[in-house]
Amino acid sequence: MKCEPISELLPDYLQGSLSAEQRHTVEAHLEQCADCCEEAALWKKLSLLPVDQPSPASRERFEALLQAYQAGRSNQPKGGSEWRKRFASWNIFHWLRSPLGAAAWSAAVLIIGIFAGLQIANSKSSSQEISVLRDELTSTKQLVVLSMLQQQSASARLEGVTWSTREQQLDPQVLSALLHTLRYDQSVDVRLAALDALSRHGRQPQVHKGVLDSLQQDQSPLVQVALIDLMLEWRDRDAAHRLQELEQTPNLNPTVRQRVEWAKSKLN
Amino acid sequence: MTLAPDEDLMLQVRDGAGETLGVLFDRYQTPLFNFYSKLTGNRTLSEDLVQEVFLRILKYRQSYRPGTPFRAWIYQIARNARIDHFRKFRREATFEPEMLPPVLPTDSAQEQQEVELLQRALQQLPEEKREILLLCRFQELKYEEIASLLGCELNTVRTRIHRALQELRKNFHQLAQGTLLKKAEAAGNIPPRGGRHEV
Repeated sequence: MKCEPISELLPDYLQGSLSAEQRHTVEAHLEQCADCCEEAALWKKLSLLPVDQPSPASRERFEALLQAYQAGRSNQPKGGSEWRKRFASWNIFHWLRSPLGAAAWSAAVLIIGIFAGLQIANSKSSSQEISVLRDELTSTKQLVVLSMLQQQSASARLEGVTWSTREQQLDPQVLSALLHTLRYDQSVDVRLAALDALSRHGRQPQVHKGVLDSLQQDQSPLVQVALIDLMLEWRDRDAAHRLQELEQTPNLNPTVRQRVEWAKSKLN
Repeated sequence: MTLAPDEDLMLQVRDGAGETLGVLFDRYQTPLFNFYSKLTGNRTLSEDLVQEVFLRILKYRQSYRPGTPFRAWIYQIARNARIDHFRKFRREATFEPEMLPPVLPTDSAQEQQEVELLQRALQQLPEEKREILLLCRFQELKYEEIASLLGCELNTVRTRIHRALQELRKNFHQLAQGTLLKKAEAAGNIPPRGGRHEV
């Protein structure tokens, strides 16, 4: 038998997921074909390659990272666990039932209704009208984001940030609100989410500067580390200066200090 | 507690129990480290990338959904961390063979030599072929998981594994022949190239 049909079966044979009949076919072929037999043997030998152990320092670094994380969380206001619990069990139906959700969806449904009505009434509706409606829908979504970012509940604010990532382009007003969230929100999770959302808009000078300026202000090691990473990703011109400033901060978290060192080595 | 499935532990991490991540770190640190070190040959970079994976887990823990197989999820993060790293920083070196772990002495000298050759044959593979073999052979990911990880069809995974194995066999063969020739030369069975056989 030629290798071609067998070679298709070989990966599954090696992982032991063939039927008995197919397995016998492959084994019969392996007895006759030196190349395929050698491939099967190499597969088995791959398991003999030595397992390398990471250095003990690796566990210590992880511990420091975890401590930084716990430190960041303990800075959060009390009652955080309650909203986290709520967020964990959050789903779209909960949100739809809330007054804010109802208002947002009513607006969205209304616009979709108008859109559908226009489509039916005038099948030749101009692309201009469609684009106007699309713009309206987009601005409704952005209004929802703005309103959610001002909610009392951190889970609603977190959801507001997530909503903002669904749009490619954001109004300057929404970007400012996100920057405000990054700078002043009490919850580390919301600030991290805002940072992720803003990282997509780093080409805008206002966002670039606003985000990196928050490095000096944020006290959470996790946010600081994320900001350092983003600064490298954006290839910020002032990166070296900003890192130096951060390094001089008294009581800087050891993990952050380590990240600063690492970032400096990448800049050189 | 420590025998709890990875998925349950990750859900606890997601809901704020950061310390539980320590258990997952102990379970995955060595496999991830080996994935990176066998792929890049660089120990320091591999340790950095393992830390990066766990930092990302903390950062993106809210995106973990119940029912997602944890192993597939963490390898998705691990792959992205490596891709992002090489996108941000130019690739410094392709592979640093001196960084490979030493092959521990085994009962059979021949087996030890074969493992050394196999290690070198694996290094010589293009990175994507090396990666797919590492994922299925060392990280024990199922083909379906690899397909979703690489964003391709299941049959494509099978084909790629087979091609990687074929190339590995060729590399291994060439290396083994080279070693045999060297041995023969050393034993004086073959005249040195272009010269007379010296006794």
